[in-house]
Amino acid sequence: MRAAGAPIGEDDLQANVDGRLPPERAELVETYLAAHPEERERLSQYAEQRAALRAAFAVPFEESAPTRLRVAHLLAERRRNRPGRLAQIAAAVILLVLGGIGGWTAREVVPRLTSSSSAILASTVFDDAIAAHRTFSVETRHPVEVGANEEAHLIQWLSKRLGHRLIAPDLTALGFRLMGGRLLPADSGPAALFMYEDGKGTRLSCYYLAADFAEETEFQYREQDGVGAFYWVDDGLAYAIAANAPRDLLLKIAEIIYRQNSPDGTQPKIPSAPGKPS
Amino acid sequence: MIPGAPSESSAAAQILPPPGRGSLRLRGSRVSYGGAMRDRAALIEAQIPGLRRFAYALLRGDRERADDLVQDTLERALSCWHLRRNDGNVRSWLYTILHNRFLSDQLRARRRGLHDALTEATDLPGIDGGQDSALEHRDLLRAFSALPEEQRTVLLLVGVEDLSYEEAARVLGVPIGTVMSRLSRGRERLRQHMRGNIDEGSPRRNAGLRRVK
Repeated sequence: MRAAGAPIGEDDLQANVDGRLPPERAELVETYLAAHPEERERLSQYAEQRAALRAAFAVPFEESAPTRLRVAHLLAERRRNRPGRLAQIAAAVILLVLGGIGGWTAREVVPRLTSSSSAILASTVFDDAIAAHRTFSVETRHPVEVGANEEAHLIQWLSKRLGHRLIAPDLTALGFRLMGGRLLPADSGPAALFMYEDGKGTRLSCYYLAADFAEETEFQYREQDGVGAFYWVDDGLAYAIAANAPRDLLLKIAEIIYRQNSPDGTQPKIPSAPGKPS
Repeated sequence: MIPGAPSESSAAAQILPPPGRGSLRLRGSRVSYGGAMRDRAALIEAQIPGLRRFAYALLRGDRERADDLVQDTLERALSCWHLRRNDGNVRSWLYTILHNRFLSDQLRARRRGLHDALTEATDLPGIDGGQDSALEHRDLLRAFSALPEEQRTVLLLVGVEDLSYEEAARVLGVPIGTVMSRLSRGRERLRQHMRGNIDEGSPRRNAGLRRVK
């Protein structure tokens, strides 16, 4: 901030209050303050002030942020409000009209339509996951093909079939326990489904589809006749989670799953053996 | 849903090739892309408590509007992420966006003549604990609230948010020297206020306390 030999100035004193003095200045300032007790007194009042302001403004924000300020939520909203789907429909309509007229102008719109493959994937996975959830979540006797008691085998089997290392997310923090899973057919190959249940009997489906060619997306939300679902693509896998549950809860679940699959953040956790409360 | 049975060579079959060894080859590049989005979310998420605190203080305790301001900031940050200058400091970048939004909101409010109502919404943060110290805190906050805005902002960025002087200068778009002088003037003004307060205010306050007893 200043040359080592420069006389002590107000900037040094302020930096002293903020603990931002370089060590070589700190000593000089200390000597100066020893000779000027009234300045030391002034600085200590500044320091008190500083601490009091910090205390006053720190208190209200120890609680967690409301949902509307969560990044995952904002990303999902952005996705939803983006011109995406509507624009694609509009583009399709324009294409039809222009195609009918046979104009050359239609050529310019074509690339936008072909870039909608990720929208098609999203739509397919949404539909398949919601359909699977509807079909299997009402099953009392055979909701899953392989039960949670054979979890290691289940994960190994599904991982092998999808060609991806899958994890069965640990959702015990939200009261959901793994019931088991099954293999499902999808247009592009096998899909995996993990089924969860909470203490109130709410069932949750986690649907995975290998999508190595697909670009990663943000969270997208869709609701169909009371079943809500979040969808995203991350690291070559398309995910969809579906349940008859409020959007906020689904978002929380989606965030947990996203994090548990993160290679750099929390390591994928394999839930402890069923029956053992964790 | 893709029309057509899976057995047909439908559009989906072309768009969604079955996963195989071949496609795994591509994954290396995607991992870093996947990391980028996760990083972005994590980098922004980490700053939210500080941004809320700063907005809350700037807006003198109007919680709802503070969170609106933060939401605005986050939305803007997410949509302009690619415009971020690559000097790596997400933190000061986010504070800059928030502060700029705050100023433009204020300008707009002033034009609509809402400014007075705005400054009157002085619901200061409550402080738990001591009776005497709580009163003093309240005095301090009232005095703080009365400071010129530019001094208030610097005291918040440097003293509460722990930004370096360089970062604060970048957020406000002023030279470091300006940050230093606002800091010094703001602190001195607060100190003078508190001293005056103790000289005049103390006896009255003590009398009040004694009466309760």
